Amino acid sequence: MDCNNFYCSCERVFNPKLEGRPVVVLSNNDGCAIARSEEAKQLGVVMGTPAYMIEDLLRQHNVAVFSSNYTLYGDMSDRVMKTFASFVPRLEIYSIDEAFLDLHDLPYTNLLQLGTTIRKTVQQNTGIPVTVGIAGTKTLAKMANRYAKKKHKSTGVFWAANENLTQEMLEFTAVGDIWGIGHQYSMFLKRNGFNTAADFTRAPDEWVRTNMSVVGQRMLNELRGIPAIGWEFDAPTKKVICTSRSFGKLLTRKDDIQEALCNHAAACALKLRRQKTCCNRVHVFINTNPHKTDEAQYARTINVDLASSTNNTSEIIKAAIQGFNIIFAAGYRFMKCGVIVMNLVPESQVQASIFDEADRSKNSLVMSTMDQVNQSLGKEIVRFAVQGFEKKYKLRADHLSQRYTTDINQILKIKI
Amino acid sequence: MKTSYYQIELKAGFPSPAMDYLEERIDLNKVLIEHPLSTFIIECTGDSMISAFIPPKAKLVVDKSVTAKNGDIVVAVMNGDFTVKFLKKNDVKCWLIPGNTKYKEIEITPEMNMQIWGVVTKIIIDPKDVRKCML
Repeated sequence: MDCNNFYCSCERVFNPKLEGRPVVVLSNNDGCAIARSEEAKQLGVVMGTPAYMIEDLLRQHNVAVFSSNYTLYGDMSDRVMKTFASFVPRLEIYSIDEAFLDLHDLPYTNLLQLGTTIRKTVQQNTGIPVTVGIAGTKTLAKMANRYAKKKHKSTGVFWAANENLTQEMLEFTAVGDIWGIGHQYSMFLKRNGFNTAADFTRAPDEWVRTNMSVVGQRMLNELRGIPAIGWEFDAPTKKVICTSRSFGKLLTRKDDIQEALCNHAAACALKLRRQKTCCNRVHVFINTNPHKTDEAQYARTINVDLASSTNNTSEIIKAAIQGFNIIFAAGYRFMKCGVIVMNLVPESQVQASIFDEADRSKNSLVMSTMDQVNQSLGKEIVRFAVQGFEKKYKLRADHLSQRYTTDINQILKIKI
Repeated sequence: MKTSYYQIELKAGFPSPAMDYLEERIDLNKVLIEHPLSTFIIECTGDSMISAFIPPKAKLVVDKSVTAKNGDIVVAVMNGDFTVKFLKKNDVKCWLIPGNTKYKEIEITPEMNMQIWGVVTKIIIDPKDVRKCML
């Protein structure tokens, strides 16, 4: 399952005037185009193009431009995924707008009809258009999805139900468009005379293993209909958590950067508590803008090890500031800073260190109370003073839509 | 702050006779929203649905998963604009009917490009605004 131009589709649900009009969504800080409606693609807006380079094009064609509204997209994604989940016993959420549904052991024989029903339901219930690809392995399902987008646009569903249909799809797909084949392998395969996915399925196993390692072998099996990529039904708990942002404008003052850093540290600590893990290393980084070649450049990172594992906001902020004090240097214009928490262990397995002076149970009570207050009264109502209020580093988001589904003050307003 | 009943430990004395009869407190979300995944909250301005008890600032609970029937209050999109009206339909024709005699009924023709966005399943209003609806 793949949502069509997901971010653009989310904007359209609450703004039907955008139907038929080209829509572009920009990355954090309004940097690059990261989502394009069909119409915008046709205008030649390329994925990842910096916004300033296409300003004229966008204005000329009356393109609707949006800053990315991840609060909205996250909620819409949750609605879509849970709607998928109501049809099948198991699914794997692959990204914010893609999921693999396990259709094994289902009582249906006509999977095309099932796919059509799921698609219609999601479209009706959430307003988000999706495309469905059904096949025997994940790689083939991905390909079927792409094939549906290209060749079965009106139905939005393709089922590689038999040998002939699978072959037709494999012939249509260039090697470079196979899931997991990057630019290097794509060039390599073409040089050796494999142009389509169908060509690749006829490659000798031995040759693939020698030249493309086990990864290539796995792909080959998948294309031949033998599942080789496992399922991940529960989202794996993260091994590291990173929070970083580019500043809305370049910053020079230490206090301003430290404020941003403390907010990133606090965000990391909250994420740790949400997934019930602790970290014992805090990695801090700061850097200038490497693209401004005429300016003095500076980039440093540092690891701060903690006496014992924690997910306490104050301890993680403290460690981040400690590291920051060491790596900060005055006289540069900084673009970005970030915090990565590492060496994560489950909360239940934290071993107390003999050097640990903190009152663990008291601290965790403080944290859970803070989280509860923030959850019921609003994000960051209770926070640490170092997190500040000014937010000079705040992201640029000049074209942000409302948080229609998560903030009662920003719901859709209709003149009737 | 949420405090769970179950954490209450009775150290001594007679155990609470209510212990075996605990039920979860009424959750208005469940009462007002049958299908959370397809339900959205919107707010209205304007008086075209005043006799349907939708005064300005009313909040509407709108379910996209419900198929609109004759007589439902619907959120419709007409040529890209949202509106809220009664839906009237028979086998051949379909109308959007305002809840205010000041406004005209709209007969929907195929070239009008009208779509039903969702069906209003609950109306949330402030009792202070009820009087406005009764004039």
